[in-house]
Formats: sequence, structure tokens, C-alpha cells
Amino acid sequence: MKNALYTLAYIGLCLFLGKLINYTVSGLPASLYGMVIYCILLQMNFISVIKITKANQWIIRNMGVCFVPAGVGIINHFDLIRNHGFALISIIFFSTFALLTFIGLVSERIFDHKNTIKSSR
Amino acid sequence: MMTNFILLLFTIALYQFVSRCQNKWQFIWLNPMFISIIILIPLLIFINVSYDSYTESIQVLNLLLEPAIVALGFPLYQQLKQIKLHWKKIISLLSLGVILVISISFISATLLINKENIAIALSLKSVTTPIGITLTEQLYGDSTITAFAIMIAGLLGALLGPAWLNFIHVRSAIAQGIAIGAASHVIGTAVLAKISAEHAAYSSMALISTALLTAIISPVLIPALIHYMYP
Repeated sequence: MKNALYTLAYIGLCLFLGKLINYTVSGLPASLYGMVIYCILLQMNFISVIKITKANQWIIRNMGVCFVPAGVGIINHFDLIRNHGFALISIIFFSTFALLTFIGLVSERIFDHKNTIKSSR
Repeated sequence: MMTNFILLLFTIALYQFVSRCQNKWQFIWLNPMFISIIILIPLLIFINVSYDSYTESIQVLNLLLEPAIVALGFPLYQQLKQIKLHWKKIISLLSLGVILVISISFISATLLINKENIAIALSLKSVTTPIGITLTEQLYGDSTITAFAIMIAGLLGALLGPAWLNFIHVRSAIAQGIAIGAASHVIGTAVLAKISAEHAAYSSMALISTALLTAIISPVLIPALIHYMYP
């Protein structure tokens, strides 16, 4: 419980710093600045890795639920889907898979992944 | 007030329930995000709740979205050493990827739909929502379409990405992570994070870099495409 609060407090702090950066220099969204700051503070040992591990893993396992509302938002686009649905979906489908395939195949070739393959299993 | 609370509770319970089922049976299509969405849409229409009042009831989830993204800094930290070794290659590869996806989307949208604002919106669908929308508005595209396209691209990569990459023999954590982070941003990363911390780390790294690179490349590339395709 104590560690969970510790984790939340630091995530909150990083998000706040992210918001400050976003407010002053804009560019990336606040949450992405926050992610980078969180990573840096962990690297500097400013945040204790041992204390945050458990709560952080729990957050990552369950974060998908936060994206459900955005997906339900498709409800508001029925008109758009009726008019251009097929073309829209095929363009999104095709270009997303082209990108996945391109990046996937090239990175599979250019990275020496002998040392990474073990931990992925 | 009561309905608001019930909708919120129902969304969380539904997600948890599907999540348990997936842990038990391990089917790819049993993705909690996907199943929750396709159950909620007809349900909201059936009980006659508008999307606006639904978003009002689940405000808490929207509030949690940003901290959840910050939490991805942890897998990023865990793999920092590995990433440092490869960052030059990753950045050059992702720049090529960004140019490729913008060109393909813009050109095919022009050929099929022939509307400048839709073509712009579709070109910017591989980045995370706040960036995609901001860039679309800067370039005078239709940002409601961007929001929709980002959602679909995210779900596609999250649901079918890992299976597709395995199918074309792209099986290392680094390659799968980078590809899905680049094509399906946070939504893809959220799903990948369940496979391994290494997947999550490369995916987070790719989504941040793609967002940055798109912000740099699109204001140059898209006006050039407009110039040639809509003279």
C-alpha cells in the first residue's frame, strides 16, 4: 500500500513536470514528457526501482481500460463511416500494415537480436 | 448520477472480466480493449445513452490515461542500456517509416477519396492522439477523422500486429516492439506491454520517436504532397 502510494506520487510528479514543459515549450503531449522524466529519474536512482516495480507492473497490465472510451467514440463517426467507410478503413488498414511490415522486416535484419530473443520468450 | 456510476463500474468490470477470460484461454481476438468496445457501442445505442454522457460518466478513466502513459517510463528504463546501443539505427529507420506511411496514406486517400482535408488527416494517424490532432489542425486537415483513424490504426496494430509479425517471421522483441510502437502508438504499446517488458520498452521508445519525427517531417512533407497532388 505504502509502495503503491509512493509510485502514484512520483508518477503524479512526473506528469506535473511534463505539463510544465508542455505549457512552456509545447511540442509533445505532457504525458510523453512525463514518461521520459519518469525514466530519467529512475535511471538517476532518484526514484527507487524496488518500491515502484509491483505497482507499476499492475498499472501496465490494466492500462488498456483507459483506452476503451476513445474506442467507443467511433459512435460519433457513423456519418463519416456511411459516406467513406470502406475507403477510410482500407487506407488505414493498408498503410498500417505496410508500416508494420517495413519496420518489422528491416529491424529484424539490422538488429543483432541474439541477446534479446531469450528474454522475449 | 446513478447511471453514470453504473456505466463506469460496468466498463471496468467488463474489461476485467474479458481480461480474466483471455488469461484463461489465450485467444488473440479476446482482447479486453476490443471486446469491451464492441460490447459497449451497441449497448449504449440500445439504452439510448449519447457518447457525450458516456464520456461524462467515465471521466475517471480519462483522468487515469495520462498517468498510465507516464508509467510506461518504467519498461523504458529497464531497457535503456539496450536502447542506447541501437538508437541511431532506430531513429533512421523510424524516419524512413514516417515518410513511407505519410506518403502511402496521403496518396491513396487522394486517389480514393480526393479530399485534401481527409488526406491530411489520414497521413497523421500513426502517432498518439494529442499529437496527431494538433498536427492535423496546423495543416488544415479534418481532426475528427484523425482521431477516428488513430483509434483504428491503434486497434489494428494492437490486435493483429503481433500475429502478423510472427507470420512474416519477425519474432524478436526489439523488432516487434519498434514496429508496433511506430504503427500503433500507445494503444499498441499497452497491449504489447503484456507480452514482455522488452517489447514494452522498444514500443514506448518507438512511439515517442515516431511522434517527434512526425512533428518534424510532416510540416515539410505534407505541403509538398499537397502541392503535387492538388495543384
